[in-house]
Amino acid sequence: MKQLLHKELKLTTAPITWFFILFACMALIPGYPILVSCFFICMGMFYSYQFAREADDILYTALLPIRKKDVVTAKYLCALFLESIAFLLLIVMTVLRMTVLKDATPYVSNPLMAANITFLALALLIFALFNYIFLGGFFRTAYNYGKPFIFFCIAAFIIVGFGETLHHLPGMAGFNSISGEGLTMQWILLVPALLVFILLTGLSLKISQKRFEDLDL
Amino acid sequence: MNEVLQIKNLSKEYPAFHLDNVSFSIEKGHIMGFIGRNGAGKTTTLKSILHLVHPSSGEVSFFSLDANENEKAIKQKIGYASGTLVCYRKKKIREIAAITSSFYDDWDSSQWAFYLKEFALDDTKCPQELSEGMKVKLNLALALSHHAELLILDEPTSGLDPVSRDELLDLFLDLASQGVTILFSTHIITDLEKCADDITYIQKGKILFSSTLKDFENDYLIVESTEPFTEEQQKLLAGECRSKDGTSYLIRSCDQNAFDAVAIRKPGLEEIMVHLERGNHHETASA
Repeated sequence: MKQLLHKELKLTTAPITWFFILFACMALIPGYPILVSCFFICMGMFYSYQFAREADDILYTALLPIRKKDVVTAKYLCALFLESIAFLLLIVMTVLRMTVLKDATPYVSNPLMAANITFLALALLIFALFNYIFLGGFFRTAYNYGKPFIFFCIAAFIIVGFGETLHHLPGMAGFNSISGEGLTMQWILLVPALLVFILLTGLSLKISQKRFEDLDL
Repeated sequence: MNEVLQIKNLSKEYPAFHLDNVSFSIEKGHIMGFIGRNGAGKTTTLKSILHLVHPSSGEVSFFSLDANENEKAIKQKIGYASGTLVCYRKKKIREIAAITSSFYDDWDSSQWAFYLKEFALDDTKCPQELSEGMKVKLNLALALSHHAELLILDEPTSGLDPVSRDELLDLFLDLASQGVTILFSTHIITDLEKCADDITYIQKGKILFSSTLKDFENDYLIVESTEPFTEEQQKLLAGECRSKDGTSYLIRSCDQNAFDAVAIRKPGLEEIMVHLERGNHHETASA
């Protein structure tokens, strides 16, 4: 698996994918729907799939001395690796906004979603949807990536909309706070979000492996 | 049992094409030519063997091991190259080889260096900078550098100039003499005449013939006659082909006695293939 991840990162991951991970820094932009940064990170990964198809990457990988289903595992492993880096960067940005920059005027008067634990929980949900909708959809054919990405875009923007709406609902303002009691609510949201991420990614991996076994390359 | 590859009743159904109970086997150190016209099912068969296509039914075993249960171990011992597949066109050959080598237990760097030199490949280049023939050579060099015991090659000589093709066929003969088994699909018949021990002929998804090249050539005869054939003789015609000098007909050697009054000669491999493929030409035209 280590070799497969190395292969994915060296041969398949497009340079632009790495660049798009830096969009995690958008979490620092005040007055901006910061969950969009997660969408951009996923878009960066999507570009690698364009590159991979052009490079006949799936066929090359399937011909290596590995099991056919490992081709799928490699792609999920790579996505998880890139998402982990992006998530760590999102955590850094969030911690910055919650500590050092918490009293900065642009953030205090920010009418949109704050960078806090709710933001991280919803970021996890966007990554989960990418793994479930895009990766799962891609491995229906191991060729077509357009339609799954459109479906992912719709789902991702529903989450962005949800994130921007949630704290405006009665009794939900705590989800947008960066200190105090609201944080407890946010931690409670993070745990199921993490579980959803693990569940959807694992489920998607299993379905994709099964589909890929039956695919004709 | 000296069989390196054994295929039994391999079938694959597509809406417009049916691979129908394909069965054949190859012995160690043999070179088998897998022939048939375009669309006959050569690539589908090779891809099914390699588990790239999911067959509807059938069994494939390599080195007496079931292909499905021993996929990883088997792939260590086989090499695949295609005349049309070129991966990572924009990556440096050196990078592709470095990654590829990490997957093979028996990757031989000196062998890789040898084939780079032998094929005049520059590993600082990207595949997109290579000519079609050089791309084939790159695929072959990658396939040959991990000491594969079985090489499965899909149209490996396509795009190569006659000299390079001849060099490659020489290499096949050298490898076969070292015990490497080679299965290669082609429609360049002269390649087979130079190096193939065995022939497997596929037509419309069915195996028409699978045996030694000698048996294949001895199994057919060409009949040239300007006189009309009797109804009984017509039933024995396996194929026909028109030329400016008239029409020639293909018959099975065992039916030779039915044609004793006409000129009969031994055909070349290409003649057999063309006659077999053009066999129903007039029937189709008149239908």
